[in-house]
Amino acid sequence: MTKQDSVTLNIGGIEAAVATKGSGAPLVYLHGAFGYQGWHPFLDKLAENFTVYAPLHPGFGENSAVDDIDDILDLTLYHYDLLDALNLDAPAVVGHFLGAMIAAEMAALRPGSVGKLALAAPAGVWLDDTPGADYYATPMDEMRGILFADPESAAAKALLPEPADDLERGTQIIERVRSLATVGKFLWPIPDKGIKKRLGRITAPTLIIVGGEDKIVPPAYAGEFASRISGANTQTLADAGHMMMLEQPDQFAAAVTDFLQS
Amino acid sequence: MKISWFHLMPYRFLPKDFEDKYRSVWVDVPSHLFEADKAHQLYNEYLDELEFADEVGFDGICVNEHHNNAYGIMPSPNITAATLTRRTSNAAIIVLGNSLALYNPPLRVAEEFAMLDCISGGRLVAGFPVGTSMDTNFAYGLTPATLREKYYEAHDLVMKAWTEPEPFAFNGKYNQVRYANIWPRPLQQPHPPVWIPGGGSVETWEWTSRMNYVYCYLSYSGYKRGIQVMDGFWKEMDRLGVDDNPYRAGFLQLVCVSETDEKAKEEYAEHVEYFYKKCLHVYEGFADAPGYRTIRTLKAGAVAQLGAAANQKRQSMTWDDFVEQGYVIAGSPKTVIENLRKAVEGLRVGHLMVLLQIGSMPKDLTMKNTELFATEVFPEVKGMWDEYEDYWWPEPMEQREVAGAASAGD
Repeated sequence: MTKQDSVTLNIGGIEAAVATKGSGAPLVYLHGAFGYQGWHPFLDKLAENFTVYAPLHPGFGENSAVDDIDDILDLTLYHYDLLDALNLDAPAVVGHFLGAMIAAEMAALRPGSVGKLALAAPAGVWLDDTPGADYYATPMDEMRGILFADPESAAAKALLPEPADDLERGTQIIERVRSLATVGKFLWPIPDKGIKKRLGRITAPTLIIVGGEDKIVPPAYAGEFASRISGANTQTLADAGHMMMLEQPDQFAAAVTDFLQS
Repeated sequence: MKISWFHLMPYRFLPKDFEDKYRSVWVDVPSHLFEADKAHQLYNEYLDELEFADEVGFDGICVNEHHNNAYGIMPSPNITAATLTRRTSNAAIIVLGNSLALYNPPLRVAEEFAMLDCISGGRLVAGFPVGTSMDTNFAYGLTPATLREKYYEAHDLVMKAWTEPEPFAFNGKYNQVRYANIWPRPLQQPHPPVWIPGGGSVETWEWTSRMNYVYCYLSYSGYKRGIQVMDGFWKEMDRLGVDDNPYRAGFLQLVCVSETDEKAKEEYAEHVEYFYKKCLHVYEGFADAPGYRTIRTLKAGAVAQLGAAANQKRQSMTWDDFVEQGYVIAGSPKTVIENLRKAVEGLRVGHLMVLLQIGSMPKDLTMKNTELFATEVFPEVKGMWDEYEDYWWPEPMEQREVAGAASAGD
């Protein structure tokens, strides 16, 4: 299997690393909050049918900063600029968690900028009765338990292996702090930043993908999104937690492919 | 040397099995454990203790701010300080302090500190902590990644409000005020001395030295560990070309004085263990929200005082360990004097703060500890650092009003 290519773009002074692979209609993948290192294996499956573009969010890489992006509006505008820099006109956008929130904001603020929209475990809404696990306050050693339906699965251990020594542990902690500090700029302390009011503006065909055992965005949240986006469909993946695309990569890729090709 | 009496105001009545039954003393400790009638007693006994410290000659009395916790039931230190301005006469009133980023707008802090300074006749020390992650991120909902930026902006606004005699506009990222113009202004000019409590981060050292503020290392691991951190502080001062005046630094130390070393153990052990095992029982997940510390500080290996590892260690420690390792300086006056001298010299601190009410310690024992410290220990150590000038101490008015007898002026 060939490896993905990578390009680095300058988006308003911010360096954006974008991994690309495959051929066919363009598909932009916006990653979530946890353990993303620039590519997920399930993207190889999507690359069989699409040209996949997978940018790393500002604030996630070793040297990247998020200082000039203050809020979700800044972050959404940054992503429009990113699509322009990639010469993409109304591509399909698939997002996970924070990435899904960005995708939904893009589709809501400028309908027509997104061709089709797939939202996996989208962030952006809050239900008092179903708060979900507090990932900010979950110690490193317990993260697998809230990210996966089966924390002992190979996928779970591949994402968060038992650290072999203090150095490896320190590296994992710093990676976690860096990414969650960035996520916190947009989702702390409660992820509701007003998207509910804007979801009704979305005109792109939308699929909401739910991990049946997602502890961070429990399945009840799908209804909140679906009821506000005209014509949205929901698909629930079995034996899948928050990191559904790692835990059930075939199911996930099939759900996205079927939706985008329908 | 200046020696100040520090009160944390712990909730003394946590259930015996608290640390087994509840995961944290902070953030999500259920408030049904708080009994208000007992708190009526507690607040009044704690205020008596602070007032007593003034009576027996401590240079300063210290209060601070925490939220959602049974470790220290003082969400508003300014309320505590306000009662003290009227009931004490000589001690500096050291508020350590107001967590600036929590106030909206932070002009509220500029106003209240100015009030305290005016009422007390210029006895205020203004402390500006960032605040713990538990207080700021989890209890008050502030975004970890921008907390420090917001704190620094709030500091700039407070300073400008204190020193700018005309109304001004402040266009900040977190605060926008068209007419910043506080009444009252502080009595001490250009402003009260500023002390910054911190946990050992390099960025804070650089900033306090640049601003010419006092850096206070508030540690519960005692002077032996504190010396390692303060060594780093003084090396950094040297690197920055700043002098080594010990009054640039403050340190908090737990102290238990009794007639003999054995009696100290007998009287104080259970209260010290209450403090370390209950009051510092913080759930690991709340100790350090992602983004609260900078990556630079994390990489420098700043070890959190809180969290699973520290917790586990403390749960297995006993009185002898706490004393042996310097967490607590305890024993007869002779033992305490000897160790305190070692601590102050090793740390090179001119502003020593002592915690004499610890954990579940009741009032009579706290009073005894305070009195023994004042009469037996204080005179033997107060002369240290006399060869240095303290530029960071309040300068009160010579003639000050007394509660109940304010002069009838024009």
